[in-house]
Amino acid sequence: MRPCRHRVAILLLAALTGSAWAQAPGQNNAITDVPGVSVGHFTGGEAGTTVVLVEGLNGQGVAGGVTQRGGSAGTRETDLMRPDNMVETMNAVVLSGGSMYGLAAASGVMRCLEARGVGFPVGGGNVVPIVPTAVSFDRATCGRPAASRPDFTAGLQACLAAAPGAVAQGNVGAGTGAVAGGLKGGVGTASVVLANGIIVGALVSVNSEGTPYDGDGDLYAASLALGNEFSVLTKAGGHANRVPPTLPGGPLRSGTNAVVATNVQLTKSQATKIAEMADDGVARAVRPAHTPGDSDTLFVLGTARIAMTALGDENEVVTQIGTAAGDAVSRAIVHAMLSAKSTSCQSSYCDTFPSACRNRQ
Amino acid sequence: MRLHTALGALLTGLCAVSDGLAQNLPQTPGPKNAITDVPGIEVGHYTATNGAGGMTGTTVVIARGGATAAVTQRGGAPGTRLTDLLKSEKAVGTAHAIVLSGGSAYGLAAADGVTTCLESQGIGTLVANGSIVPIVPSAILFDPGRCAPFDFRPDASYGASACLAATSGPVQMGNVGAGAGARSGGVKGGIGTASALLPNGVVVGAIVAVNSSGRTFDATTGDFFAGYTLGNTDAKVATAGVAPDADREELLRATTIAVVATNARLTKAQANKIAQMADDGLARAIRIAHGTGDGDTVFALATASVRAAPNLNQIGGAAADALSRAIIRAIQAANAIHVGTCNVSSYCELFPQRCVR
Repeated sequence: MRPCRHRVAILLLAALTGSAWAQAPGQNNAITDVPGVSVGHFTGGEAGTTVVLVEGLNGQGVAGGVTQRGGSAGTRETDLMRPDNMVETMNAVVLSGGSMYGLAAASGVMRCLEARGVGFPVGGGNVVPIVPTAVSFDRATCGRPAASRPDFTAGLQACLAAAPGAVAQGNVGAGTGAVAGGLKGGVGTASVVLANGIIVGALVSVNSEGTPYDGDGDLYAASLALGNEFSVLTKAGGHANRVPPTLPGGPLRSGTNAVVATNVQLTKSQATKIAEMADDGVARAVRPAHTPGDSDTLFVLGTARIAMTALGDENEVVTQIGTAAGDAVSRAIVHAMLSAKSTSCQSSYCDTFPSACRNRQ
Repeated sequence: MRLHTALGALLTGLCAVSDGLAQNLPQTPGPKNAITDVPGIEVGHYTATNGAGGMTGTTVVIARGGATAAVTQRGGAPGTRLTDLLKSEKAVGTAHAIVLSGGSAYGLAAADGVTTCLESQGIGTLVANGSIVPIVPSAILFDPGRCAPFDFRPDASYGASACLAATSGPVQMGNVGAGAGARSGGVKGGIGTASALLPNGVVVGAIVAVNSSGRTFDATTGDFFAGYTLGNTDAKVATAGVAPDADREELLRATTIAVVATNARLTKAQANKIAQMADDGLARAIRIAHGTGDGDTVFALATASVRAAPNLNQIGGAAADALSRAIIRAIQAANAIHVGTCNVSSYCELFPQRCVR
């Protein structure tokens, strides 16, 4: 009885906040609905890289923040993102498979951006692109070492492929080798346009130790749907007998990494607070989350198309963006699970729970 | 009388405690006076020169058997890799190498070369699917464009070469590895290293690439700010030499990056405390330090061959002094560059009578 009432209360709260703030997904229901954001994937045989490029109106980088709560993170440039440190212009965020080896993809993205003259200016017309990065450990290899992993070239290719518009989801980019709670994971994205013109978008690579579905096989975050975005789903429930065993945990085994973007001008401190709130979206959609073996790292970028001062009280706006970001992250995780396709090693969500996906075309 | 007795007992107690904390100077260095005096620690440099005075490179500190690793990052413009993993609450506590590199953030690529080098040698953490994943945190410093094209910088091959060159022998200082292109407060910076022998078989070592906006010495006298750590007997006479001012570009883009190591057995949280204390050695030797344009980052490694419970204050204090000494030794070892229009003076050029090598 109590868990049920608890759930109803959460749903009510979600509905209330939703009606007050949330409007609808953006045109592509993707992080690229945020002006200044483009996304590129490099999809290798067993692992890949996804890059989120950002630019402000002046073509320069934008302020960002990060929260890093998983216990096995492979990261680059997260120290630089702390509000007490100087550089305030992020040019891209890289999410990659390949565990620590995959950090090499960031160097490829740096080279790509340098060639375009994009980066932190350091005199003489030279630039240093600021490219924070998080990797996770690919597990979709039937338990053997991956035959290939993202390298410098993977990052370069992902950067060259980056574009605004629709974003491919599922077994692509950083989600290529992803596994989520024993099922095939992948990349997902979602966006929301709020009444006051704020746009918030999220992109996730779901490679979690925890499961994104409950004991009945229903996706935890399905109730956060905006409109009919999860129309493939039914609330049939009763899928428990199909739940597969999850893969063993432990250090360096998994991780859900994410990027959130908004069109609002943020300081690094504001972006950091929004990152912390957005990270709750991972917690709501995956259980358990932020385990010792997870890489779970979440970046926030503000592309500064709207001044914070034009929106009202700073703390209210940050709360509004953080709330929308949390839900967008949860929704993106659902999209990732619905977009992932079965491989020879892992079954997709919809192939595992066909009764939940009965509206599938 | 009773009060006196109580005071005496208190003082005796304090003295007993402070014996344990004693940081006697000068320190007793190990046979190499290098971080490689710490059992289990190797160092490799790769240095590149462009023939026009331009230099850059990579230095790797390898703990082939793995070491408990930690970091403190206090400079305002860092370029780092895998530092999140070194926080006390994270699951992975063992690193196999620390990479220091030139090249600004581009130089983080050198760590990729070290990672694959160690993998090919079977060094790393064994993970679920049978792969080996070497844990290779890294920090970089800003040296691009100094007497060289801006893209003259370390890449993955620099890391691989430094990794292959690593030995437990003496460590070259000055214009090598990550310190090759370094400058410090208007003069040539570089690589320095030092070690100290502590009671009970504990060894502490430090290696540093000094690329600071701040100075390490009094510009008029040449006195090193942390000269007391050397216990040197140099006469503190004024000299004609006056060090040039650091130019503004350097003030915005500098960095001192370091690794301290010990053979004590430390938890990750203890190693993080040692890194924090060691960072004070940087503050004492360089003024200003930890500025907005500095990427100052200090890693700590513990190879755990000494089983006895560690005296954290003794190790942390000694690590700070060893780091101060390594910084001075870096500046003493750095060579001036005079190639065509590329001119960088060195401490020894400015203060020849105070040059100790």
